[in-house]
Amino acid sequence: MGTKTLRPTIPCFLFGCADLCDRARVPFTTRASKKSLRSMKGLCLTLEPATVMEADVHKMSVPLENGSLAPVDRLRSERSDSPTPGLVEGTEPGAGQDSAMFVHAQSFEDLTAEGEQGQEQEEVQEEEEGESERAPEFGELGDSEETQEPEGKEEQEQEERENEKEEEDQSGSGRAKEEDVNSEAWRRHRKHVFVLSEAGKPIYSRYGTEEALSSTMGVMMALVSFVEAEKNIIRSIHADGYKVVFLRKSPLVLVGVSRCRQSERELTRELLYIYYQIISLLTLTQLNHIFQHKQNYDLRRLLAGSEHLTDNLLRLLDRDPGLLLSAVTCLPLASSSRDVISSSLQAAKAKSLVFSILLAGSRLVTLVRKKDQFLHHMDLHLLFNLVGSSSSFREGEGWTPICLPKFNMAGFFHAHISYLEPASELCLILVSTDREDFFNLSDCKRRFLERLRRRSSYQALQEAVQAPSYPVSQVGIPELRHFVYKSKSSGLYTSPEIPVPYKCEEEEERLMDLYQYLHSRMHHPTRPLRSIYHCAEKENLLAYVTSGFELYLCFSPLGTKALAVSAVNKLLKWIRKEEDRLFILNPQTY
Amino acid sequence: MLMISPRMATGVQDKQYTPSLLSFFIYNPKFGPREGEEEKKILFYHPSEVEKNEKIRNVGLCEAIVQFTRTFCPSKPAKSLHTQKNRQFFYEPEEHFWIVMVVRNPMVEKPNREGKPPTVEYQEEEILDTVYGAVLQQCYSMYKLFNGTFGRAMEAGGVELLTQKLEKFFYRYLQTLHLHSCDLLDVFGGISFFPLDKMTYLKIQSFVNRVEESLRLIKYTAFLYNDQLIWSGLEQEDMRILYKYLTTSLFPRHSEPELAGRDSPLRPEVAGNLLHYGRFLTGPTNLKDPDAKFRFPRIFVSAGDGCEELHLIVYKAMSAAVCFMISASVELNREFCEQLDGLVGPQLTLLASDICEQYNINRRISGPDKEPQFKFIYFNHMNLAEKSTIHMRKTASVSLTSVHPDLMKILGDINCDFARVDEDEEIIVKAMTDYWVVGKKSDQRELYVILNQKNANLIEVNEEVKRLCATQFNNIFFLD
Repeated sequence: MGTKTLRPTIPCFLFGCADLCDRARVPFTTRASKKSLRSMKGLCLTLEPATVMEADVHKMSVPLENGSLAPVDRLRSERSDSPTPGLVEGTEPGAGQDSAMFVHAQSFEDLTAEGEQGQEQEEVQEEEEGESERAPEFGELGDSEETQEPEGKEEQEQEERENEKEEEDQSGSGRAKEEDVNSEAWRRHRKHVFVLSEAGKPIYSRYGTEEALSSTMGVMMALVSFVEAEKNIIRSIHADGYKVVFLRKSPLVLVGVSRCRQSERELTRELLYIYYQIISLLTLTQLNHIFQHKQNYDLRRLLAGSEHLTDNLLRLLDRDPGLLLSAVTCLPLASSSRDVISSSLQAAKAKSLVFSILLAGSRLVTLVRKKDQFLHHMDLHLLFNLVGSSSSFREGEGWTPICLPKFNMAGFFHAHISYLEPASELCLILVSTDREDFFNLSDCKRRFLERLRRRSSYQALQEAVQAPSYPVSQVGIPELRHFVYKSKSSGLYTSPEIPVPYKCEEEEERLMDLYQYLHSRMHHPTRPLRSIYHCAEKENLLAYVTSGFELYLCFSPLGTKALAVSAVNKLLKWIRKEEDRLFILNPQTY
Repeated sequence: MLMISPRMATGVQDKQYTPSLLSFFIYNPKFGPREGEEEKKILFYHPSEVEKNEKIRNVGLCEAIVQFTRTFCPSKPAKSLHTQKNRQFFYEPEEHFWIVMVVRNPMVEKPNREGKPPTVEYQEEEILDTVYGAVLQQCYSMYKLFNGTFGRAMEAGGVELLTQKLEKFFYRYLQTLHLHSCDLLDVFGGISFFPLDKMTYLKIQSFVNRVEESLRLIKYTAFLYNDQLIWSGLEQEDMRILYKYLTTSLFPRHSEPELAGRDSPLRPEVAGNLLHYGRFLTGPTNLKDPDAKFRFPRIFVSAGDGCEELHLIVYKAMSAAVCFMISASVELNREFCEQLDGLVGPQLTLLASDICEQYNINRRISGPDKEPQFKFIYFNHMNLAEKSTIHMRKTASVSLTSVHPDLMKILGDINCDFARVDEDEEIIVKAMTDYWVVGKKSDQRELYVILNQKNANLIEVNEEVKRLCATQFNNIFFLD
């Protein structure tokens, strides 16, 4: 606790860059101000050598050569107009034409099987650690040429974020943090999530303050280490009506307590998302570094102000089928307009640019990527979450370091984030490897906008954003209330608006809960299923999984089995007809 | 149980281990609340050779888990703990008395080259909590059937008597647990009823009444044929566990004489008494033996608020078995047993051949058995009636099922889904092996059907199940 005295009284952004680099050698634990997250990020900038990122870029293309992830080019003529469930993977409605955008897991199983990939990452990380020793000098070299403005811009932006955080802290009662952790209301929450360090120190709790829960978290850690002492691993505890799931991701421990129908594995995957969310702010290298230096470091000092990101991610996990399905949904848009937008984005490239992503709220408009570089949908969801939970990007152009953990756990990318117009839902994310590139990317955005405005597509895009998504009645299947369709090869899904019976928050979450239940039964690790038909008092459900797609349908209780069987074919035909609009069929690369 | 599956042409073999019992213990946290006294909490521990400190540690973990979950729900603490290597099941049958069963996950051992130790892979998703949770509860019920509650032993002789009783009972009982063959039927813990026409049923009932009338000491009677129940005067819960004991333990031990030939030396005193085939399965093996002991096992059944202690007399003639239960306060002697043998023996022999004849007639009417396209399990929560065409024969050691274990686990999964809400539901799934599995729950009844019609669609499967319901359960309404 003696370290407190070392807190800097001058905000970090006043320090010169050389100063920042100097500080890299000071143990992080000595600085504990609210600004430390930012200074941390400043540090990370200098810790990330471009060479490593490049080396990693090559690594990423390795699995593609194995052939499994790279979709075969297909001609339009091969696509059948009336798709049948027996379709070969890659020909299902919504499958991309040339190549996929994501390093998407082929299935849920791939995603949770961490085996080889994890090892590979560890290797990378080892290399990285070697690099980080030298990193400060690397940074110093760059300092001499560094222009002050981008730095200033960044500081300004971060200052804005800081302000926003403070605002949020003030309105923090909205987080319901103050509740009594011994109350019945606290116990009754549908899903609790706790993050702690291996020393048992609280890092995050969804409900209730970390202070009030510190003894509970201490017990959690004690249970984890007790079982580990027997050379065993604790997975979960089950009781009537709820389960407790443990996820050990050194140096962190994550615990979820859920009253939902989702399986232990689904809950573990959600905890993994939370873990990646924290990694995206710090990188694993930094995180390890911190805890190597001081085992009982209070990580909340670094993450102060980022809780709303985790809160928001948890809300997404409860509501967004994309996170469940490992997929992303698109803004419905005529393919001609989308192609123009994609090519405009493609033309506005820069050397350091890796991904250009245009979002409309939480829906993807288009994504352009560097050749051979793929974005993992988990990383994309983290970007969605970053944009969706901060209003500061509306104020101007944002420039923020972000680690995309599925791409590389060890390094930072730099994201240029801005809305096309202040009041618009359209948000552009330009992901670069170069931290000095703010002006370049700002210029990319300008060029993109210019190009876009010269065409009529911009008008079409704006109209599409204004228009509501489609109602399920458009499909024309009686008794069908809602569905979710995922094309496996493109990693994209489509789903109509939430219908009336599920409009309120509680019912919407119940619907998601049902989908989660179906999903976990379909993707059981040892007893997977081809289909489930579930008939109960409130609704009838059908889930159907083939090598090409996953389909989840929700019917009113009046729907019959015969109707459900015919609905699958009818729906597939409809999606095929609409696929130009609902999916991104021509993903572009620079 | 160890199964060896050859791995391709390499000659190296993977060893597959089925789930097995790692430990089983009973503790009461109130018995050693102070530090240094933890050992006093432990009332029973299997395997007993485990070192004292390890016992204390394992009990400590269970206490911690239970206490920890009370943070989230004070009234519903943990029921199971999943770890990579094993699963632990917790059960508190009486206040502060906890029974814990630790089951090792099934695992595959892959040999490594050059003398390296083999790699072990645990299969963490194979064990169903509901099945083993039910097995644990059954352990307690069986103890209670023969010993009464833990509280009763505590009142009678304190911790010392209780630990003695636990030791004596569980030492043998745990050896009869066959964890690898547990499945959905253990969750139901149902009773198989013998199908019978009205006339024969009435004959049995009047037989029971006559015997109870002549031998006033008899408090309760139960009548079984072919290991299936026909009539019982006991409470349902008591009959459920007694039925389990009779069919998985007592009857299998005494089945040999009937199977043996007429002249076989195994065949007991039948030759000496040609009037009937009756004999005692509990108590004296030979009434003519001057040294015969007239001691019967004692059982405890519920009566009003408490429980009552009874003698359990099991008497059998051919395939018919009758249980007579008499208050334990009465001393049973040779005279009574001879009276019972003389009264029941001839009548039961006659009745048994009547039932057999009737059964054969019914079988002929319903036509020859042809291998149907489906197999099913039916269970009724209201009368505990259970019927399975999946299990060829269920004995204590092996449960012979005619379907793949994975399909049995899918049935278990569907059963878990049904248990979540108390409403009528139907679930139809198609497994990766293209088998269809249908689960229906309606008005306290559950039906599970496995269909081997790979090319059928949902509608055809539905039609097939409807036909099955019409022939097998024509008066039961199932949600369509």
